[in-house]
Amino acid sequence: MAAKAIGPVRRSFAPWNDPNAKPFIEFRNVTKTFGDFTAVDDLSLGIYEREFFALLGPSGCGKTTLMRMVAGFEEPTRGHVLLDGQDLVGIPPYRRPTNMMFQSYALFPHMSVWENIAFGLKQDGMPKADIVARVDEMLTLVKLEQFAKRKPHQLSGGQRQRVALARSLAKKPKVLLLDEPLGALDKKLREETQFELTDLQMRLGMTFLIVTHDQEEAMTVADRIAVMDRGKIIQIATPAEIYEQPNSRYVADFIGDINLLEGRLSSVGAGGAKLECVGTGATVDVAQDVSARVGDQAWFAIRPEKVTISLTPPADPNVNAVSGEVWDIGYLGDVSIYHVRLATGATVKSTITNTTRLVERPITWEDKVWLSWTRDGGVVLTR
Amino acid sequence: MKTILSRVVLSAAMLVGGSVLAMAADKEVHIYNWSDYIDPTILEDFTKQTGIKVVYDVYDSNEMVETKMLAGGSGYDIVVPTDRNMQRLIQAGVFQPLDKSKIPNLQYAWPEIYKRLETYDPGNQYAVNYMWGTTGIGYNKKLIADRMADAPVNSMDMIFKPEVAAKFADCGIYVLDSADDVMPAALNYLGLPPDSKETADLEKAAALIESVRPYIRKFHSSEFIEALANGDACIAFGFSGDILQARDRAAEAKNGVEIAYSIPKEGALLWMDSMVVPKDAPNADAAFAFINYIQTPQVIAKATDYVNYPNGNLESQKYVNPDILKDTSIYPDPTTLSHLYTTTPNDPKVQRVLTRLWTKVKTGS
Amino acid sequence: MAVTDTQPTPPPGIAAPAALAKRGRLRWLVVAIPYVWMLLLFLVPFFIVVKISFSTTAIALPPYTPVFDLSGGLSGIWDSVKEFTFDNYVFLTEDSLYWRSYLTSLRIAFVSTVLILIVAYPIAYGMARARKEWRPSLLMLVILPFWTSFLIRVYAWIGILKQEGLLNQFLLWLGVIDKPLVIMSTDWAVYIGIVYSYLPFMILPLYAALEKMDETLLEAAADLGCPPIQAFWKITFPLSLPGVVAGCFLVFIPVVGEFVIPDLLGGSNTIMIGRTLWNEFFNNRDWPVASAVAVILLLILVIPIVYFQNQQQKEAEKAR
Repeated sequence: MAAKAIGPVRRSFAPWNDPNAKPFIEFRNVTKTFGDFTAVDDLSLGIYEREFFALLGPSGCGKTTLMRMVAGFEEPTRGHVLLDGQDLVGIPPYRRPTNMMFQSYALFPHMSVWENIAFGLKQDGMPKADIVARVDEMLTLVKLEQFAKRKPHQLSGGQRQRVALARSLAKKPKVLLLDEPLGALDKKLREETQFELTDLQMRLGMTFLIVTHDQEEAMTVADRIAVMDRGKIIQIATPAEIYEQPNSRYVADFIGDINLLEGRLSSVGAGGAKLECVGTGATVDVAQDVSARVGDQAWFAIRPEKVTISLTPPADPNVNAVSGEVWDIGYLGDVSIYHVRLATGATVKSTITNTTRLVERPITWEDKVWLSWTRDGGVVLTR
Repeated sequence: MKTILSRVVLSAAMLVGGSVLAMAADKEVHIYNWSDYIDPTILEDFTKQTGIKVVYDVYDSNEMVETKMLAGGSGYDIVVPTDRNMQRLIQAGVFQPLDKSKIPNLQYAWPEIYKRLETYDPGNQYAVNYMWGTTGIGYNKKLIADRMADAPVNSMDMIFKPEVAAKFADCGIYVLDSADDVMPAALNYLGLPPDSKETADLEKAAALIESVRPYIRKFHSSEFIEALANGDACIAFGFSGDILQARDRAAEAKNGVEIAYSIPKEGALLWMDSMVVPKDAPNADAAFAFINYIQTPQVIAKATDYVNYPNGNLESQKYVNPDILKDTSIYPDPTTLSHLYTTTPNDPKVQRVLTRLWTKVKTGS
Repeated sequence: MAVTDTQPTPPPGIAAPAALAKRGRLRWLVVAIPYVWMLLLFLVPFFIVVKISFSTTAIALPPYTPVFDLSGGLSGIWDSVKEFTFDNYVFLTEDSLYWRSYLTSLRIAFVSTVLILIVAYPIAYGMARARKEWRPSLLMLVILPFWTSFLIRVYAWIGILKQEGLLNQFLLWLGVIDKPLVIMSTDWAVYIGIVYSYLPFMILPLYAALEKMDETLLEAAADLGCPPIQAFWKITFPLSLPGVVAGCFLVFIPVVGEFVIPDLLGGSNTIMIGRTLWNEFFNNRDWPVASAVAVILLLILVIPIVYFQNQQQKEAEKAR
């Protein structure tokens, strides 16, 4: 795996921060309705060349519709979809320079693996010798050389997935669309394939647009993620930003595990804010510029792994700390999750990495414990 | 409740018992006859008079009867095959001789007809004639007159003379799909013996029909009735009764179609449908009772009035509707009657030649 | 049951030997039912026909010899077998009528099958692509004519196609023609009657094949640059082939032996094998030759079908 080699490239790749960069795929005020149902609601979005972009959201949020509008299977009710500056509206799917890998793979059951991969090339009228070369290249790419003559029903799920991938890549499209590409695979295979996908995308230098409801998948593969809800984009950011700085309770809650505690802002200003937290029954001090007024309702959001658990109060007076009782412990092997019940009745989760083998447990059920976190451990959310 | 229930059960049991009695021997007679061939009131009257229930089935081709008879165990007590088919079945030993003591009405038999019937049933042992008739020309008066003012409607020229037939090709000539009926007519038209079994003669007859084949719309044994009646056909070579039936249907429909029937002056085939009793008839006595009943002069006269065919009962002519009796297309005058010919069955070899020639005539191959 | 009741209950998943044997016997019985059915209703009658085809015609009851006389025992049957003759089959080769009848029937069946396929495919396609809640009703409409007698439906076509029929009146009224068309009693009428009567037998298997097809395959084809019409020939049609084959068999086989439709709607000059068979049986009363005609007809139909299925199976095995 070449993950190490592409690391630096990925780190420096951030065209969205370049004011001169032009988006490769652009949605301009796109609305799509099906009868009374609004699938996509006045949405604008730019995706850059060579970007691996993920559309993330629960089913029915409009992410698939958005992707199908790029492929040409749906036309926007209002607005425009542009690819490389060209308006795609009205162009039928078979004339668009995009290819799609379908959730169901949609392999042609009456054709062999070879014929499936060659289908699009033949359609383009590519010379025979070139087709043979390209199909062989693709088979090598997905490591299916010895399966060329098989029919799809003679392959395993993972092999089929790779045929579908090879078929959608064969024409070297400007944009590859992936509709829940890994949904049908088991967990282990899925994780492996996620890394292969990013590797492939880097090597081929294509723009990938993936639709998924699996936040882990999106985090692993994507340069940027758009979290969607009910036809709107809630947040677009890199996986780290989405995770560490969610802009809303919806995003915070959708991505990973989080403690959400309600409260009211008691002070705001440059470099810090204070929140009278109802959930913890204490004031939470946050190193964050909060763009809201004192007295506004807000939520404090902190990831369980950012919460330290100890039997004694923390020594550092600058950290936030509350006390409670261990209510439940979830042992997951690599980590353990502590559910701590506070005096207010709220429960806060804390994750501890099990760095040593579990011989004795220093903290156990019904222990009185202290939970603490630094000023930059969590964020204040106002929506 | 209980008493009502038991009463219901009891009466049901009586009903079942009653029907079992009714089914017992000689209380039922199973008749297999041509379709549209009897006045239904005759059957009702018979049951009223004798208490014998009539189960009546119909067919529309001799082949159906013959096949059922040859397969055996048909369950019928009376069947009504046509002359030659009947003769073959008699030879195969399918029927039982009549118990003439149970059919006193045979005294009214028309000798002329029974003499001819003897060709097929030597000694008149097995068969009682029901109806007989001729095979001739039915035509639409108006359509014919429109196309040929002096059309030879009483001659086989209408069909066998190409110059004449050609004139009527457009309004539809239908011919019976039956070699047994059409080939004798062709032989007779050519001056050959109508009952000839000679291959050479049969080939000549076939050639004659082939010469007018282009003008014949269809060979079919029943479609012409409807076609004549509604004006889809202007000439049909068919059975007298069928054509007269077409005439009546057209008259009823008041569609302006006027049909007439003529017995060709060259002579025509006289055919006879006769009642016979299968050897394995379950109710032979009931069968004889029915045959005797229908040969009552008044009854058979009623049957003739209904179907427009002459019957083989001389006494019945006193009771037949005078319009029918006087119609020479139904009851031919003595001269015409003397010109009518009958045919005899073919042995399998001749039959095969005949069928093959007939197929050739119809399909050209 | 009584036997197993007295025995200790075996642990779940492990059947007692007796119960196992019983289950085995029961399974054997279930498997045997279709074979018994085939034996009684197909093979036995077929061998009777084959036996008659080796006999000689006679004026008797039944009209052929020899007739098996079981009272004579095995030797009696053997005596009868010695009388068997192959003449009837030889006879079929001597007259061109028979092979021409077979060829005409095969030709008419082939043309009809192609016509029916052309008519049925769009209908089945439309049904399979119709909204899900409409499909049962559409299916019902296809099956509905079966509720009326086949004969009545064919007779109805006489009323439509004849000289003074509805079709001619309609066309005259439209002014498309100024003289009634002669359709009745021609091959046209036969084809119309066959196409109408056998259409459902083609639509149903086609519909079954098309309905289970995944529509995303067409999206995938479009995505790979394939316009809809090409996608039909490259994806939809090949995938519906099992339905096409089943439908063609269901139509072709009975049409070859069709008798009623040509008799009622056709003219006298088309001789199909059904009519030839009828002539042998009823006009010539030659049951042995009629049986020989029937046996050959069956072989003409069965041999290619068996061959085709063997090929299919071989192909399927090769692919494995």
